[in-house]
Amino acid sequence: MSTGAEGLRIIEIGDLGEVAGKLLADAGADVIRVEPPNGAPARRIGPFPGDRPDTNSSLHWAHFNTSKRGITLDIETADGLALWWRLVDGADAVIDAAGHGVLDAAGAGWDEAARRYDGKSLTWCSVTPFGREGPWADWASNDLIQIALGGPMMSTGYDDHELPPIRGGYDHSLWMGGEYAAISILGATAGFEAGLADGPELVDLSIHECVSCTVEGAFPNWEYDGRLVQRQTGRHSSPDPTPAWQFPSADGHYMNVIGGGLPRSEQGLADVLDWMESLGQVGDLRDPKYTEAIHASPMSPNADRRHFAEAIQHFIGTLDAEDSYRGAQGLHQPWAIVRAPEENLDDPHWTDRGTFAEVEVPGHPEPVRVPTAPYRFDGVTRQVRRRAPMLGEHNREVYVTELGLSDAEILRLAQIEVV
Amino acid sequence: MTISTERTSALPTATPDGRPLPLAGVRVVDFTWIVAGPQATRILADFGADVIKVENESHLDSVRMGGSPADDAARFNSSGLFNNLNRNKRSLTINLFHPRGRELLEELIAGADAVTENFSPGAFERMGFGWDRLRELNPNIIYMSLSGFGHLGRDSSYVTWGPTAQAISGLTYLSGLPDQPPAGWGYSYLDHSAGYYGAIGLMLALRKRSREGGPLRVDLSQAETGMVMTGAQMLDAQVNNRPSQRSGNLLPYPEIAPHNTYRCAGEDRWIALAVETDDHWAALCDVLGADALASDPRFGTNSGRVEAREELDAAIDALTRGWDTRELMYALQARGVPAGVAQTTEDKMELDPQLAARGFYPRADHPILGEHRFESLPFQLSRFGWHLRRGAPLLGEHSDDVLAELGCDEDEIARLREELAI
Repeated sequence: MSTGAEGLRIIEIGDLGEVAGKLLADAGADVIRVEPPNGAPARRIGPFPGDRPDTNSSLHWAHFNTSKRGITLDIETADGLALWWRLVDGADAVIDAAGHGVLDAAGAGWDEAARRYDGKSLTWCSVTPFGREGPWADWASNDLIQIALGGPMMSTGYDDHELPPIRGGYDHSLWMGGEYAAISILGATAGFEAGLADGPELVDLSIHECVSCTVEGAFPNWEYDGRLVQRQTGRHSSPDPTPAWQFPSADGHYMNVIGGGLPRSEQGLADVLDWMESLGQVGDLRDPKYTEAIHASPMSPNADRRHFAEAIQHFIGTLDAEDSYRGAQGLHQPWAIVRAPEENLDDPHWTDRGTFAEVEVPGHPEPVRVPTAPYRFDGVTRQVRRRAPMLGEHNREVYVTELGLSDAEILRLAQIEVV
Repeated sequence: MTISTERTSALPTATPDGRPLPLAGVRVVDFTWIVAGPQATRILADFGADVIKVENESHLDSVRMGGSPADDAARFNSSGLFNNLNRNKRSLTINLFHPRGRELLEELIAGADAVTENFSPGAFERMGFGWDRLRELNPNIIYMSLSGFGHLGRDSSYVTWGPTAQAISGLTYLSGLPDQPPAGWGYSYLDHSAGYYGAIGLMLALRKRSREGGPLRVDLSQAETGMVMTGAQMLDAQVNNRPSQRSGNLLPYPEIAPHNTYRCAGEDRWIALAVETDDHWAALCDVLGADALASDPRFGTNSGRVEAREELDAAIDALTRGWDTRELMYALQARGVPAGVAQTTEDKMELDPQLAARGFYPRADHPILGEHRFESLPFQLSRFGWHLRRGAPLLGEHSDDVLAELGCDEDEIARLREELAI
């Protein structure tokens, strides 16, 4: 049983497209990541086991490069360039994330590919910070800059605007860009496989645009109402201030209770009140005026609604987070613990779903678990097919076994640092 | 096994300039609502799939009512968010409690490639569309569900909105300043992401089906969507026994400084900047006129700057406060320093020349909302295309067309309308 990308051969180069390569490799594609002989810069991104930097043990690398094969190649040499095109010859897609104009300058880019592969079903997915054209095409950026320019940052942060707007965790511009790169490759592949067009296809993807379209309500608020959303602590940004919905629990966690934890139906209200009463905390909330209050708009300055929300906040403060999470979800209320990522590792629900795959990490004695992509095909065990590749791990397999170079030739190329 | 699925379409199969839409001829019967599901099927519709959005009185997409309607006719059709999320789709209203209504919907499913929904687990089955029924109706069907925790697993009944899934997945925890509560994400980020993974999952399923045949069920969990993005932190926790931590706008790996967001002139204006090299540092000091910082040997190397990070952040913040945020961005980028305004939507839509040059906000008309801008797919294609054909459909706008395609004549459609079947 396959997971949909079997039979696709994809050449990936550069660091900005590694999410796309990962998603397609985990889904069954043969993704070959091409690195310079001294390793991709992403190998130097920590953390590392024991905080000892090593070419093969970056934990960033370990997650972002599962299921890929890895080879080394210096495309800026004549020998390397020739090998590059032999690699691309057999490929369905290239993820070109080497940087704006870098491959073209080496004669290894789209311009040359367009000449070589006229009529062929090749998808050339160019992943750049701002796109291949335009006034900012050559600008410098990283994840922080992208999250700032694209808009998520101004929607994210704290009620106190003396505190800066916030980047929102780690590497999300890479995820947004990589997810859309995978979408574009699968779309073009579907078109080719249905015989709808002759290739090659150039996808000109801009990470700035991927981030810019991932902002939900900020866009229609401006386009339709001319209003800008304002960031708020632990909840949705909004043109007007809204009540809090993130409250501390008794055991030092936070609970996320969208809408302040007020049930949206009378049945939900009755269930929550019974639960509070069973713990001796229902107070005056049985008053019928609170039944009216749950129907008031969350934005309204309804005093009963506010009082009810304060009672919920107090209630949450008396419970351990796990208890209020399970208790509320048992009543179909959308409450959740604000968990640290690793707190999901031992939750039996994810074990039931096979969410985690075991992989090795060089430099660590035991296998570790990595979360896998969120789509689960019936009857298919989700699997990361192999750990992320060590530097040049598949050189022999690819160059000798598959491209037919001799061992002596590979040795020669290694000695002159082409591979 | 190869199964050829001939694609036919009632919709355009190419862009106005003649480039094929890569999913032209794929038909999706779409029961999704709110944001996550419609985000997934919007991508399919942008690629040319015929996405037929099915609604009725008992499950109307509540995002339809997000605006401030002037009159009753506008009540279901006045939301800008809905318009942006449901462009290029068709709308069918059908009453599942009317026998002929249900029969026609089943015929639609029988002829479709995929059925999508994002109800709470069990709800679609209670509507009469359990997996057994779906594959009985169409042995080649792809059925994709998007739900908070997925349909399989102990806690599958748990309910999520975007922020709920963000909280449980670890995303909320990771966002914010280390000495403050979690900032989380200021919107339903995982509604977008679950939609992106939904589109990926559905295209993988189409390809798998074309190679192996159907039927095929895809079970997507929104919370898992967030979890996969926290893999590096999960590995650090397992390998180094180090709990995940928030680090604001700093960059812990590789640790560089300055790397932060600084206040500029004006109300709540900020600039993000990253000093990745000693050259960036020299250029930053030069642009800011910070001669004392530039000549201080302690700050000549990254390790020195990292050690003095708080002192440098305070010094830079004091200088950037005097700058207009866009002027400073242009001055720094001219010197090769990674810098970007924390852009508001107004900045992006009215002042961002890069988005403008690439036509990122194309326009389309809508009968009630009028002409508006939409967010583009974030890439441009060459041989293939995507196309903003139209805004979101009015409620039931295409019911007659779809029923006619199923073979109903005008008399029957009129009768069904009278009987409130559609």
